[in-house]
Amino acid sequence: MLAARELVCDYGPTRALDGVGLAVGRGATLGVFGANGAGKTTLLRVLSGERRVEGGRVEMDGVAVRGTDAGWRGRVGVVSHRTGLYRKLTAAENLAFFAALRELPRDRRTLEGALDRVGAAALADRRVDLLSRGQRQRVALARSLMHAPEILLLDEPFSGLDPDGARRLEALLREGGEGRIVVLATHNLARGLALSDRVVVLRRGRKTLDAEARGLSADRLLHHFAAGAVAA
Amino acid sequence: MRELRRVAIIALRDLRAELRGGGRLPAMIAFVVLASFLFAFTIDRAQISPRGIAAPLLWLILLFAVAAGAGRTFDGEEDDGAFRHLLLAPVSRHAIFLGKSAANLVLLWIVTVLAFVAITAFLGVGAPGSVSHHAAVLLPGTIGLAASGAFFGLVSRHSDLGDSLLPVLAFPLLVPVVFFGSTASTRIFLERPWTEVSGSVRLLWAFALGFVTVGSALFRHLTED
Repeated sequence: MLAARELVCDYGPTRALDGVGLAVGRGATLGVFGANGAGKTTLLRVLSGERRVEGGRVEMDGVAVRGTDAGWRGRVGVVSHRTGLYRKLTAAENLAFFAALRELPRDRRTLEGALDRVGAAALADRRVDLLSRGQRQRVALARSLMHAPEILLLDEPFSGLDPDGARRLEALLREGGEGRIVVLATHNLARGLALSDRVVVLRRGRKTLDAEARGLSADRLLHHFAAGAVAA
Repeated sequence: MRELRRVAIIALRDLRAELRGGGRLPAMIAFVVLASFLFAFTIDRAQISPRGIAAPLLWLILLFAVAAGAGRTFDGEEDDGAFRHLLLAPVSRHAIFLGKSAANLVLLWIVTVLAFVAITAFLGVGAPGSVSHHAAVLLPGTIGLAASGAFFGLVSRHSDLGDSLLPVLAFPLLVPVVFFGSTASTRIFLERPWTEVSGSVRLLWAFALGFVTVGSALFRHLTED
């Protein structure tokens, strides 16, 4: 189980996370929703170990996680709206580089297989700077999934994807993996709800809702947002 | 061994991207050739011995080449958040720093060889002394310059002032490298015995190891958000 306990995270004088706690079991997907600036991206950065916290901790199966620990980073896959690809390298070269760092096989067949999972096999030999935004996002997905991460952190992963790309990503997330934990932050309430088992809503760094996704609808979530905005 | 392999993987990625064009090397090469040419033109050879001035010119050109090129060590990492994903890979910060420094060192050696040839040719230094002795002086010097370029490249990336901050921060620290490097190289150009050079070379190695060690430790600190 991935758990966050009383996370506090500041950017200078701004408190980005204020006592946020959550728990996601193996094989489950947690949807994280909130308006711009609510703290979704910060939460994912803390979970990945990129961002230090002023208070609280992240635990995996009851053991505190240290972001500086390379072993932890090896278990996590991150997809965000920024692809993180090297523009001057081809799609296959990008994958080969990250595969080499993770000590994964990087033969041609393996790389093409990883790209094929996201419908991007034809892009293998094209330089990233010649790819469209959506094509880059597919390559980024392939890069983040190729080490079969135990924990998958997705920050607006549908950004730039065409309907086919979005459908493939949804299928990959539904298919999941043996005990994979997924944390998905998105503004697309309907899609996020459909993919999530549990839902957390953040507002100004605080958790305002933590509920099973099953009983929720996008309209109800929207209503929760609106009520929060009025209260604020 | 594992760490060294990762250092090589990171260095090779940088060099591969560099070879694809639009990177730092063309700017560094153009600077070195032009600077060597202009220096050679402005020196009154009747008053100043080309052998005496060749080494200081070489080291000053290398220093400015570092500012022009190595300071942009992390430019490629700005590609749509690539650096973030590099930091997310299960690789130590030391390996990233050493990989970046190693790539800088290769580029700097290309520039060094070119600068050496250009300066000796433009100044008309017929016999520049033992090439292996020059290499023995330039190797620790360029290691120090490459590591400092990688470190200050990251520092300037974090600053709003960007590249303009690099000379202000780096040059004072690099003065000893240029001083001892220039002294040692001058003696080789003047074909003095190695015993007159070895002391400066030992100091250059000390600076090189210092830049690599301290740079690596501070790099880790700088990349922790």
